Amino acid sequence: MIPLEHYLLISAALFCIGLYAVFTRRNAIQVLIGIEFMINAAVINFVAFSKYDKAKLGGQVFALFAIVLAAAGVAVALAIILNVYKYYKTIDPGKIDELRD
Amino acid sequence: MDQQFPDITGTFSAVTGGIRYLMPEIALVAAFLLGVIIDLFFSRRFRHAVLICAAAGLGAAAWLTLAAGDDLPADPLFYGMIFSSVFSNVFKLVFYGVALLFLVLCFFNRQLQQHAKGTGDLYNILLVVVLGMSFMSMSINLLMVYLSVEMVSVGSYLMVGYISGNSRQAEASIKYALFGGACSAIMLYGISLIYAFTGTLDLGEIMVRGLENVPSLSSATAITLVLAGIGFKLSFVPVHFWSPDVYEGAPTPVTAFLSTGPKIAGFALLLIFLMTFFVAAEGHRFFDFKNTISVIAIMTMVVGNFSAVWQDNIKRMLAYSSIGHTGFILMGFVSLDHGGFRAMFFYVIVYALMNMAAFMLADYVEQRANAVTATGYAGLGKRFPLAFTIFVVVLISLTGIPPTGGFIGKLLIFSSVWGQYRATHALLPLAMLITGAVTTVISLFYYLKIPLNAWLRSGDTAVTITTKNGLLVYTAFAIMLILLAVGIFPQLITAYLPG
Repeated sequence: MIPLEHYLLISAALFCIGLYAVFTRRNAIQVLIGIEFMINAAVINFVAFSKYDKAKLGGQVFALFAIVLAAAGVAVALAIILNVYKYYKTIDPGKIDELRD
Repeated sequence: MDQQFPDITGTFSAVTGGIRYLMPEIALVAAFLLGVIIDLFFSRRFRHAVLICAAAGLGAAAWLTLAAGDDLPADPLFYGMIFSSVFSNVFKLVFYGVALLFLVLCFFNRQLQQHAKGTGDLYNILLVVVLGMSFMSMSINLLMVYLSVEMVSVGSYLMVGYISGNSRQAEASIKYALFGGACSAIMLYGISLIYAFTGTLDLGEIMVRGLENVPSLSSATAITLVLAGIGFKLSFVPVHFWSPDVYEGAPTPVTAFLSTGPKIAGFALLLIFLMTFFVAAEGHRFFDFKNTISVIAIMTMVVGNFSAVWQDNIKRMLAYSSIGHTGFILMGFVSLDHGGFRAMFFYVIVYALMNMAAFMLADYVEQRANAVTATGYAGLGKRFPLAFTIFVVVLISLTGIPPTGGFIGKLLIFSSVWGQYRATHALLPLAMLITGAVTTVISLFYYLKIPLNAWLRSGDTAVTITTKNGLLVYTAFAIMLILLAVGIFPQLITAYLPG
């Protein structure tokens, strides 16, 4: 039996890895992967802690919704990245900076 | 067996009983489905069929909201998922109004109308975004909160990147999508932590009690993460970076919509979130929302207004000014009492009107004279006299000078915070009052740059031919009249406000 704290630790680690990737990666798709890490960290929490919510299983249902919405978000973001590549010939968020102060 | 299949008839009747209160949303969904079909089969023959369909759907939704009137449910609907109240009805009417104005803007935007893909999908996306905003103003369950926020976000990314006619538009959409994705993931993690600590997804007393029982650092982390997600929609200060870039790059109608619709939906959500804690945690404050919101409001007003002073691009300037207005509206959230509610609602309605009008005129000038900067407006006052006269009144209203609606809005918010200060003599309400007054003066500098350039400076080419005014200008004129009427007779709005 794996204690519940382990899930919390793993999800916290995943979340931090994801956040680090979002801030440091020089490629928009890798940033998306970082976002995906963060979403999945939350999903682990939901599934693990629905143990205490046996009547409604709200966490498990939420996890399903989160997975679907993440897929929808990524689909839109990938289409947008394609558009950006058409104009800039790069998908490095640091180099796409025509709009700034 | 009984445990696996609980009372199905009871469940069914509970669900069907709630549908009665969801008629506006059902009208939106119907218009969306109809719009998709019309766009597929009839858009070649009737170019504006989808537009008419979307407008009809929004009109029907507004009418159904008004017709429902006082017929409000006593309990949350759909097993504690959404709660339809007087507040959400006011917000919904604002959303439908903003969306209708957005349709007007799209109709007159040449770039959108000449787009090869057509505009049908844009109107359909708009309906879904409005649906998400409706649910944002009604949700009392964290699943519903996340779903509605994502509905609005994903739809808005598509709206920003809809044309992608040049590199700037593409850049705006990728910045919005990446920043928005990261923020919603952060919010989701916050929600998962709240669920882990409390075992419930309902925004209610059980959740607040549960958060009180865990160490305050943990609960504060979870709440901060959720606030970051809501703050992305509101673009208040720590998470505001995206908004100037996105507002500048996006097509002007979309910018006008983003700076009003989803932002006001964010306010609705913040209201629900804060009310949960204010109602349930009366007496024992484990997380001091008042101070947090006060500090955020002050920072937002300062950053928004001071950054706007240096901008030359009109849309970018209006973006920073809308950040400033966000900070101002947040002041109304600090005193969530009778006066605070009314002030906040009044300001939100007036803000939606004047922001829409300002972007309409910016769009009009951009299309007719190809001017997008304040310096580029030089001498244009003689070319578009009516447009710039309206622009001046709208800017006066945005600054908050009588006799306009913006003045009454600022007055109401100031008096609610002043009441707060009189009651507590705390430092933060006083600091907010001072910041609000100072930034209002600052805002005068950048707002008046537009009439200064348009009327007093002469342009490169001495064009004195007046162009015929488009219908867009007359729409803005109507909004201007409303702003003036509200400024002189505030009861036109206050009579209908809840609180």
